[in-house]
Amino acid sequence: MLQSQTAPMVHPTTAGDAHMAVVKLDKIVKGFGPTLANANIDLLAMPGDVIGLVGGNGAGKSTLMKILCGVLSPTLGEISFGGETVKFSDYGALEAQNRGIRMVHQELSLCTNLSVAENFFIEASGETRPAPGWRSSHRMRARAALDAVFPGSGIDVDAKVGHLTIGERQMVEIARAATTPNVKLVVLDEPTSSLDQERSQQLRSYIRDTSKTGTAFIFISHKLQEVIDIASMVLVLRNGKMAWQGDAVEASIEKLVQLMGGDVGSIKHHDKVAATEAKDAIVRLTGDVTSFIGREIEIGRGEIVGLAGLEGSGQKELLHAIFQRNGKSSDVVRNEPVSFIAGDRQKEGVFPMWSVLANMSIGRIAQRSGLTAVSDKAERQAALEPAGHLQLDEARFDSNILELSGGNQQKALVARALVADTPIILLDDPTRGVDIATKQDFYRLCDDIAQAGRTLIWQTTEDAELLATDRVLVFADGKIVEELTGSEITEEAIVAASFAHQSGEKDVAEDKGSTFAKFARYLVDAAPFIGLAAVLITMISVNPIVASTFGLDLLLLPAVSLVLIAMAQMFVVGGSEIDLGVGAFAGLVSVLSATLLYDQPWLGGLAIVAAIAGYSCLGGLIQARKIPAIVVTLGASFIWIGIGYSLQPTPGGASPQWLSAMVNWSLFGLPTSIILIMIVTAITILIDRMPLGVVLRGFGNNAAAMTRSGWSSVRYGVIRYFIAALYAATAGCSLTAINTASDINSGNSFTLLSVAAVVMGGCALIGGIISPIGVAAGAVTLSLIGALLGMLNVSSDYNAATQGLVLIALLVLRSAVADRRNEP
Amino acid sequence: MRSFSDFGFWAQKNRWIWAALGVVLLWLTLSIITNRFSLSSLSGIVLSASFLTIIGIGQMFVVTTGRGNIDLSISSVITLNAYVALLTIEGQDANLIIGIPVAILLGLAIGAVNALLVVGLRVPAIIATLAIGYVLATATLLANREMSTFAVSPTLKYLASAKLGGLPIMALIALGAVLISIYILRFSAYGRALSAVGQNRSAARLAGIKTGKVIAIAFIISSVLASITGVLLGAYIGGAFLEMGQPYLLQSIAAVVLGGTLIFGGSATALGTLFASILLILIVTTMQIMGLPPGAQDMVQGVVIILVLALAGREAVMRRTPSGADNGTQGPSETDAASAAGTMPSGAALENR
Repeated sequence: MLQSQTAPMVHPTTAGDAHMAVVKLDKIVKGFGPTLANANIDLLAMPGDVIGLVGGNGAGKSTLMKILCGVLSPTLGEISFGGETVKFSDYGALEAQNRGIRMVHQELSLCTNLSVAENFFIEASGETRPAPGWRSSHRMRARAALDAVFPGSGIDVDAKVGHLTIGERQMVEIARAATTPNVKLVVLDEPTSSLDQERSQQLRSYIRDTSKTGTAFIFISHKLQEVIDIASMVLVLRNGKMAWQGDAVEASIEKLVQLMGGDVGSIKHHDKVAATEAKDAIVRLTGDVTSFIGREIEIGRGEIVGLAGLEGSGQKELLHAIFQRNGKSSDVVRNEPVSFIAGDRQKEGVFPMWSVLANMSIGRIAQRSGLTAVSDKAERQAALEPAGHLQLDEARFDSNILELSGGNQQKALVARALVADTPIILLDDPTRGVDIATKQDFYRLCDDIAQAGRTLIWQTTEDAELLATDRVLVFADGKIVEELTGSEITEEAIVAASFAHQSGEKDVAEDKGSTFAKFARYLVDAAPFIGLAAVLITMISVNPIVASTFGLDLLLLPAVSLVLIAMAQMFVVGGSEIDLGVGAFAGLVSVLSATLLYDQPWLGGLAIVAAIAGYSCLGGLIQARKIPAIVVTLGASFIWIGIGYSLQPTPGGASPQWLSAMVNWSLFGLPTSIILIMIVTAITILIDRMPLGVVLRGFGNNAAAMTRSGWSSVRYGVIRYFIAALYAATAGCSLTAINTASDINSGNSFTLLSVAAVVMGGCALIGGIISPIGVAAGAVTLSLIGALLGMLNVSSDYNAATQGLVLIALLVLRSAVADRRNEP
Repeated sequence: MRSFSDFGFWAQKNRWIWAALGVVLLWLTLSIITNRFSLSSLSGIVLSASFLTIIGIGQMFVVTTGRGNIDLSISSVITLNAYVALLTIEGQDANLIIGIPVAILLGLAIGAVNALLVVGLRVPAIIATLAIGYVLATATLLANREMSTFAVSPTLKYLASAKLGGLPIMALIALGAVLISIYILRFSAYGRALSAVGQNRSAARLAGIKTGKVIAIAFIISSVLASITGVLLGAYIGGAFLEMGQPYLLQSIAAVVLGGTLIFGGSATALGTLFASILLILIVTTMQIMGLPPGAQDMVQGVVIILVLALAGREAVMRRTPSGADNGTQGPSETDAASAAGTMPSGAALENR
């Protein structure tokens, strides 16, 4: 699907460069509301060029690259390939890839539940046939790519990406993009952020060698030394405009820094005599975080305290611990209310449906009890003064928050903290994506706020910013390693301190807790098998006949239907959805097979095919309209039941001869039901091992990355539900065959049981995991529990409650042993 | 032309208007085509819609907490409470003093368990409430065994079915619930917090909102309202049967979505839920009058909810393109909230702009 087209030379007469160019961007303008993220930017990439793209946060680099890769459409401007101009309306991510453009994203776009080789397959599937051994070519490609870019990396191509370190994942991502067949331009966005010196060297020498063969590169990095080292040409962006473009030999770090607007001297040193004497500590840090420097740290009123260090050294954690005040033991003591200003505004700051005013006042409102009245008039009054202070115009109060520029959104968030009027304000990288002028205003403002007696604790990734603070706590490996005050605060000192105490092993923290937790996880993974064994043993001890072939067959036959429905549910859950209509659908097919199929085989067959088609369309609809699967499938369940009722108002019908025969045979004296369950499980494993299965799992794990690699979410939504429909339809037929009659309500109870079986079998509801054997064991266990209760003379009234409680217990257990690192 | 686009803008903020227009149009059409619709038949529809409205409001609070949260236990809560009320009240007004508190307490308890599972133990809301629903189904079966009488207390019967000047008392109760909800959603601190949590949970937490508490309260509101409705519904039909709560599950979700509350959370409209409830009952009644079998009625309801969602979903996709596209790193919930950015919630910032 990713066959590259050589750019046709439609305009051979076009002057010189143009028809040779890999790609040319002309006068690109892109506006977001009132702000211009890109203003008249040109970019020309010739074969073999290595273009260094630099600029501060919010300078417009990512916007430009998204336009280049077809993810965004510009407001104005042109793009051309080898002289052939392409309309942006016809230009999308897929088209960009077809033209040989590949991007390595900062937020990694690998599917963590797939192996390295499978991730290579996802990116460039080529002509993969679902034949045995289809993986081997991708495995070889992955091996070759990794060896070419990062010799001696030792990454196992069969390892799950989720088991790799961040650095290794970045290497996989880079190798995958750079070695794509027919790639012409590779965009690398901060490729070395997680790589050590040696790997970074390897990457640069690979780029150097490959560019000689004609591949072009765009290298985006904050590490200016690397940019100067590798680039043949440098493009500097500043506030969405081109600040400079020229030969790399003319560039120096000082020059680039100046061009980017980051005049190091421009941040005025905060030379107020710190109010630390006023020993009115309102935040006190003790315990583990201060164990390195060996003394408590007290933060007083009116102080601005900076938290510095390499990213991920524990600054953010401390900030959140102060916010929540729930550090292990009482490492953090805070005596006053606190506000939080997040730098990641989209994720942690703004409420996108609200006006600026509502966004500002929520901090104040949150302090009140629930039924207190909120009046916009009073809120406006309260917001006026802080907003005025921030130079945030009152006329903008009623605009939607997203219509504001990043800088003004930031002001609104600061205003939120000021309106809430808390003595402590926590800032998490607050100037991210804010232009330099606003930044300067911001530093002055912070000074004012502190003068007024408030305490600011400020985490930042820009070391230069810390000059605006009274005191800096430098972090390394989760501990404070240095405390700098007053004139000691210099960029050099901060950098020196954060590197000096780096132990080097950053990934040690990946170790997942105690052996007990490991054991608990192991236990939960084995739950379906332990459960199955326990239930079977209990049943045999109550009634030894269970152990006979006849007994087992009798008990397990009803389980066949549940196994099938659970497999259907498993595929849906694998796509991080839940199907509340799968039981009803099986019920419908059961009715169809016992009525129409029995009376008029052709019509019946057609009806079942139509039902499967309808069910498959649901999957496409859910994806195309981005609507919640639960509600859609719940609505669909009413349709299935409605059709079933109309066809057969009361239970009845008859099973076609051939259908009954399917469950009445025997092989080697083994119970039919066991053979059937094994066949179903084997088929499921087969589907999962096929390229299709890998794609489906990829969607469940990282749908955005899959779409970016050119896979259609709608098409695979349909396919996912089609597979589920086949299983559910087979389950419906099995219900008819086993009961030799049908009842539209016979499938209903299977819906919850199927979810329970899937959870029990080891699939996470979040998606991406397919585990046929576990799910089959889970389904059999659950269906035996009913029989067991019967044998123990418990009324069947208790069945529903038992099923519900088992499901809750399983989920609670799972959530108890789950890894919480990635949760908000 | 100008006024037309003004209306479009206004309607975007007041999404309840579509359900209200639907009621009026369907009503007018039916009155003209058949002569079986009159004001007195309207009061019957209003009575049925009242029960749905109260349940729908509870569901609305849960849906507004965002992340696809839905309370799937309400149908079981309704049925169980109808049985328990019959058992505790035994047809005697004197026993109301026990029966009503028991129902409310039961609602509180079920809501609290749901909240504990969802907030405390991080079980996905749909699964937690689905499973609790199964547990309650067993409780209902056990209650069913104990039944000796299906007598209904006269006061409850009066509340559930009598009219006051042509208007069913139930309608007044439902209207009261709607008005209180409007106050809570638009003018109370809880309403703001609820909308904030539904739009962007991380931001809400960092803004100082106790998100767990806000979500827990929504689940409790839902269960308590379903409990009370269960008692009244039992009084209205003069007894209880095992499947009596079943239709209300899908209908409550349909009422919420059809009314204009966003299925991804963050924005709710009680007025919309009211009108959508009437619209749904009107549709069901029409089908009954047309003589459609119950199976066909189920089918139509299923189709309606899928269609409404598909249309509303398209709106969200369209709005996503300008603002959401540049935020590739956002999680699904945030993107969904951002996609709805074009509209203001009918609640909070209504008089802004």
